[in-house]
Amino acid sequence: MTVNDTPSSDTPSSDIPSIAVDALSVFFGATRLLGPVSFRVAAGETLVIMGETGAGKSLAAQAILGILPKGLRAEGSITINGRRVDTLGPVERAALWGREIATLPQEPWRALDPLMRAGPQVTEAHRYVAGLPLEGARKACARDFETLGLQGAERRLPAALSGGMAQRVAFAAATAGQAPILLADEPTKGLDAERHARVVGLLAQVPEDGGALLVITHEVAVARALGGDIIVLRDGRVIEEGQTRHVLAKPQAPYTRDLLAADPEAWPKSVNPTDGTIVLTAKDLAVTRGERVLIEGFDLSLRAGERVAVTGPSGIGKTTLLDTLAGLIAPAQGSVQRAAGLGRHAVQKLYQDPPAAFPPHVSLERSLRDVARLHGVAWDRVTEYLTALNLYPDMLKRRPDAVSGGELQRISVARALTVGPAVLLADEPTSRLDPITQRQTLELLAEITKDQGIAIVLVTHHVAIAENWAHQSITLRAPA
Amino acid sequence: MTDQTQTGAMPRPRRAWPRIRPARGLGFALLALLALCAVAGPDLVGQDPAKQSLLDARQPPSAENLLGTDHLGRDMAARLLSGAQLSLSLAVLSVLTAGLPGTLLGIAAAWYGGWIDRLLTSFADAVLALPGLLLVLMLAAISPGSWWALYAGISLTLWVEYFRYTRQRARIVMAEPAVEASRLLGLTPGLIIRRHLVPEIGPGLLTIAAFGAATAVTAVAALGFVSVGVRPPTAEWGVMMTELLPYWREAPFLILQPVACLVITVLALHLSVGGMRRP
Repeated sequence: MTVNDTPSSDTPSSDIPSIAVDALSVFFGATRLLGPVSFRVAAGETLVIMGETGAGKSLAAQAILGILPKGLRAEGSITINGRRVDTLGPVERAALWGREIATLPQEPWRALDPLMRAGPQVTEAHRYVAGLPLEGARKACARDFETLGLQGAERRLPAALSGGMAQRVAFAAATAGQAPILLADEPTKGLDAERHARVVGLLAQVPEDGGALLVITHEVAVARALGGDIIVLRDGRVIEEGQTRHVLAKPQAPYTRDLLAADPEAWPKSVNPTDGTIVLTAKDLAVTRGERVLIEGFDLSLRAGERVAVTGPSGIGKTTLLDTLAGLIAPAQGSVQRAAGLGRHAVQKLYQDPPAAFPPHVSLERSLRDVARLHGVAWDRVTEYLTALNLYPDMLKRRPDAVSGGELQRISVARALTVGPAVLLADEPTSRLDPITQRQTLELLAEITKDQGIAIVLVTHHVAIAENWAHQSITLRAPA
Repeated sequence: MTDQTQTGAMPRPRRAWPRIRPARGLGFALLALLALCAVAGPDLVGQDPAKQSLLDARQPPSAENLLGTDHLGRDMAARLLSGAQLSLSLAVLSVLTAGLPGTLLGIAAAWYGGWIDRLLTSFADAVLALPGLLLVLMLAAISPGSWWALYAGISLTLWVEYFRYTRQRARIVMAEPAVEASRLLGLTPGLIIRRHLVPEIGPGLLTIAAFGAATAVTAVAALGFVSVGVRPPTAEWGVMMTELLPYWREAPFLILQPVACLVITVLALHLSVGGMRRP
């Protein structure tokens, strides 16, 4: 995976590739979880590692940084800026972070100190990682905030930052040490379309400024935007590698083709909205958070079997809107009306993070049996739903954390179906799933809701999903 | 169309009820032994703990008096067993009467929130502001030497811990999407508590209970020792220590016995929950 371009001559280590990984493998006991993977990313280059959840993408990042979880063991050599690092001790490896190699972690807002204001967090990085004097660090921080469009956010605590701003603060802190290599693990996870583009733009700037960029993602769109080279991983093995442009245009491996087909942009468009009876109406609905009005004048007539997508930037109040439709929150204004004859449990929700939607210490079977018993549904019926959703009743013996996210989300669909709902409210149900699983899950959801005449409202930040999967798409905008 | 069950899955332990470790095994064994002693009581050695025999005072262990006799010629073994009965039953009772209302009130505060929560929390804070032993002393002063005053005092101070722990954990659990999902799915409050809350707070409550029991046992002995709690001639570990203290030079073996009993009991209680999730 070497690209033989000579890197720009003004970088200090111009003749050495910034990062070289040779036959890297990660083991749990005798089981190989990842590898062997080999690649080189030089200054000014980009490498994208793509694959679905559980493909071992994050293991690669952890192995490079030397932060593999206990019990896992890495083999192979890792060379950073000409220096072999896999043989170094943990303290010496930690000394590389921020200086030789910077990381933009998954969901970076979680990596910020919640009790420290944004400015000082970045200043601190300039001061202690880059070693600038305090005044210089403050100036560098101010410059970062200006370039990233964060002016005025210096005095805010992370909780008062929007997701996108927190992301940029984390980016500033991560890159303050001037490390020539940036490692970004799922940098676009959970971002809305606009922020998505902005983060990709930030990343694309890195190789242009003479850095080496290593991005781990499950999104085809990210790989397409960043270009460079690509490695496609599945079950820890390299399925395909080459120039991103070529691989995306002419995928050789069947798996890569599946992955590309799962990109929502490539989905066929849904047609023929149903003419079912109206099950839920919202009139002139307003959603507020504290004093702030987030959504105003929202109208919706939801018909049986209909699929409606709701999109909009993060923080606009999509989740609060769903909760209002679900009757969990009283509307600040306007009304939500269920069709006559619909019971208390006729509206069900699907959650973004499936493991968080189940009692963690109880087996899945027990959770489902509770629901079936309370609603007088025979267990056979539940297993029918499971089979329809491509699940095996056997896996219910496990706890929620012992099945994959995609399976668990389908189990939660089965759980909701047990109640016999008329409306399903789904809050980003597939945003934490990899593309292939996402497509499967949404297709199954579409099929089963159509069969059962269930209306579904899907909140998503993915415009392509909203347009292609749903019959009707509503874009929320902040009131003027 | 099956997706992989996390091939790269980390070994992620998420076990609420931990496996028994050797130290905890020892704790349990000691507790079982103590419980046996307490249930059987003085009958175990077939001696009357109150029967004096001044001619046989301070005898070393013998076939008749397994652990010797005290300064009044009473059988030490029988007295220790009688003391175990008293201390442990008091400990168990106070744990139950403190734990049950404490836990239930904690759940109620988290469940209802609002003024119920504020009222209960202020009440708990008020109790907390009073040093625990002081409350016991006050009650003991009202009814000197009574077993009931001790029990009431200890329970009244200990319930706050259960309340605070349960309330704090329950608030977190109640805010989880999983509980919201369960409510939407029509699960009854009792079922929600059983499925979501109990597994979450059970281990922590057990730890508090064990520590509370140890506190109760120590408190009873401490009060007996300073002659506020149970009075002679009742055989109680703290009282025995006071009685045998004057003889510690001539017969150190005697005072050592109630002390050892106390240490072993507290140790057993602490060991039995060692390594459990702490509150």
